[in-house]
Amino acid sequence: MTTGQTPVMEIRHVFKRFDATQALDDVSLILYPGEVHALIGENGAGKSTLIKIMTGIHRPDQGELLLDDEPIEVHNSQEAQGYGIAAIYQEPMVFPDLNVAENIFISHRTFGPIVRWKQMYREAERILTQLDVKLDVRQPARGLTLAAQQAVEIAKAISLQVRVLIMDEPTASLSAHEVRQLFNIVDALKEQGVAILFIGHRLEEVFEIGDRITVLRDGKWISSTPRAQVTADAIIRDMVGRKVEDFFVKSQTESGERLLSVHGLGKEGVFQDINFDIHQGEVLGFAGLVGSRRTDVGLALFGIEQADEGQIIFDGQERKIGSPQQALDLGIAYMSEDRRKLGLVMPMSITTNISLPTLKNYLSSLGLIKHKDEMATAEHFREELTIRSPSVEVEVEKLSGGNQQKVMLSKWLNANPKLLILDEPTRGIDVGAKADVHHLVNDLAAQGIAIILISSDLPEVLAMSDRVLVMREGRQMGVFTRDEATQEVVMTAAMGQNHAKNQTVVETRA
Amino acid sequence: MSRNLQRLKSWEGVLLLILVATIILNSTLAPSYLRVGNWINLFELSIEKIIVALAMTFIIINAEIDLSVASTMGLTAGVLAWLHMQGAPFPLAVIAALLMGVIAGAFNGFWIAYAGLPSLVVTLATMIMYRGGARILLEDRSIGEFPAWFSHLGQQPMVGPLPFALILFFALTILAIVVLHYSGFGRYVYVIGNNRDVAEYSGVKVRRVKMILFIVSGTAAALAGVLFAARLGAVRGDLANGFELDIITMVLLGGVSIFGGRGSMGGVLLSILIVLNLRNGMSLLNLTGHLQSGVIGVLLILSVLIPNMAAGVQGWLHRRRQAKIVHET
Repeated sequence: MTTGQTPVMEIRHVFKRFDATQALDDVSLILYPGEVHALIGENGAGKSTLIKIMTGIHRPDQGELLLDDEPIEVHNSQEAQGYGIAAIYQEPMVFPDLNVAENIFISHRTFGPIVRWKQMYREAERILTQLDVKLDVRQPARGLTLAAQQAVEIAKAISLQVRVLIMDEPTASLSAHEVRQLFNIVDALKEQGVAILFIGHRLEEVFEIGDRITVLRDGKWISSTPRAQVTADAIIRDMVGRKVEDFFVKSQTESGERLLSVHGLGKEGVFQDINFDIHQGEVLGFAGLVGSRRTDVGLALFGIEQADEGQIIFDGQERKIGSPQQALDLGIAYMSEDRRKLGLVMPMSITTNISLPTLKNYLSSLGLIKHKDEMATAEHFREELTIRSPSVEVEVEKLSGGNQQKVMLSKWLNANPKLLILDEPTRGIDVGAKADVHHLVNDLAAQGIAIILISSDLPEVLAMSDRVLVMREGRQMGVFTRDEATQEVVMTAAMGQNHAKNQTVVETRA
Repeated sequence: MSRNLQRLKSWEGVLLLILVATIILNSTLAPSYLRVGNWINLFELSIEKIIVALAMTFIIINAEIDLSVASTMGLTAGVLAWLHMQGAPFPLAVIAALLMGVIAGAFNGFWIAYAGLPSLVVTLATMIMYRGGARILLEDRSIGEFPAWFSHLGQQPMVGPLPFALILFFALTILAIVVLHYSGFGRYVYVIGNNRDVAEYSGVKVRRVKMILFIVSGTAAALAGVLFAARLGAVRGDLANGFELDIITMVLLGGVSIFGGRGSMGGVLLSILIVLNLRNGMSLLNLTGHLQSGVIGVLLILSVLIPNMAAGVQGWLHRRRQAKIVHET
């Protein structure tokens, strides 16, 4: 349907690097008017970076953007808007106290210094009718449903003469009915000749709405296929094409006694009906895509977000875990995925960070810190985990990402956990540090520590885990043993495709 | 800690220079300046603020603020005077006043630590409330005629030439230094001030630490209010009105970051010495009180500006070095 047409926008051979990660590695895309181009890929495949480059938040290291065959440079979102490029996100950005029409025309200055309300309302109504959306333009945005807020954002983009509309996982928080409404709007946009880049993570939606489907993986362009020729299997294969063999593989260990059983764990509106066991010395991988709520389950076990239903049986006794202190006292540690915000006190020293959860062990009877003791501990971990730093008194903000990660690991290992929850322990660190972390996980398991490994890096989860629990949108899709868990099986479950035997192995071994 | 320490040290160095300059200037202006008696006098005139500033240092490093301290001083002194007026035994009145400080601090702490409200708003509200309480208790009266021992406590030397308040100040300073810089509690204060979420995710009882800090702040303010009453010999509803700003100034001038996590007791003590001596010197020069306040204000701006500028220059040098390295390789 699009052949022969001239593209609106073209992305040519774009590269972008952040520190250790090559976020985009020679990515090219062509967007045609009236076409929905669906973009799909694992977490970290480079989708977000691509959007940010298109909207001027990042600049490409190499490569160019073309609009109507003219190269353009986009330095910020205002400029992007000027070119007719707009993006809407999962969480719409509307001003709650302004009404619908005001939100639609928020970036307009064409109405002059005095607001001509009548004209604005008329214009807003016209745009909404175009989209077949029924909304009172005088209603304040506060209290609108997410779907309605998105409609307002789309109307805003239209009022700005949008030519390329990027939709970043717009359906993630919508109900089925709302998704239907959104797709109707998308159809209306197509008829007006808008080019749409639709980033999705539900395969069925992507198949329904996309005219062309492009897969990214590890920042690389993998395939672009017209919808007519696409199959779910092919897409999943493209998404997961990395080789597990490239990874260090966890050695098989005899797992010991059952340490933790979770029965029907749930938290209203976040996750539900989570069931699993974990044994001493076992690594249980948590796989899933963004929004699968794996982290929330981890936080519930660590007492930060309390579950409101279900049972946690730890060391043979039912426990309510109400705070991180309680979790630590039981022997549960959680290492956050967000090093800077939740993991380390960046301007403070390695020593201070390592001793923080266990500071009580370093206090004299008067409550004074035995600084020599805590430094000795820090020194011990510096050697053990080969943290590269001239001294343990250096602030962690001066270390590389990999070394910061090791400081964070030390901090939690020093608490002597029985169960260690590692949330994305290798994200954003270089290959060498990654391998160190993998070896460490292996050693810890061999010492009898149970490990929950939350990772979006599929080959990593598969290589490191004895069993893999797959989640999707707060639901447990299955638990797979090492032999069952291939990339295809896990990704299929994570994407919510039903043709695999994902429901057959929900029961964990006794 | 080295960079922050350097940054701090650079500011502490500036403070030290200003202090030495002030002392030299003052001693040339007035030969009597260097006498012990003058120094004691200097301290005595601001001792109440200084005691509260010690607690305020903890609060600001913890990334909070307590605007209600001066009103708490007024309220607790008011409770003391009112009970005295009602004929209560005086020691009992003192204890009740101190208890009032604990309650005032706990009230702040509850809303901030457990209800999660911003301390700026909570303590602004209680600043008005507590002052109102003092005025309701005392109306327009000035209550005095305290027992002789109490007035002596505020006005007469106790050990050698040192009055009670000064001795208390020395003891509290040592305690504050030890707790802030050497105890586990002090470590938590810094960690929470730097990153509350990391502290929470590490099992630190963040709320409890904040609660304790505000109770300590209220208690210190009560102590200061009682001492002030003893020194003045009479209490009115507007006692210590506006002191909170002088107190916060002392702390910030000492290099404590208003965003929390940074600063030291040493810096605050230096800044206290500077404020005292500078005002003394400017009085010797016959500068008006308003002009004196202006000078202190300029210093406060510099205290924020200079460490930032130093960091900026450092960063610029660093980048230039890096660029050179890249260029050469």
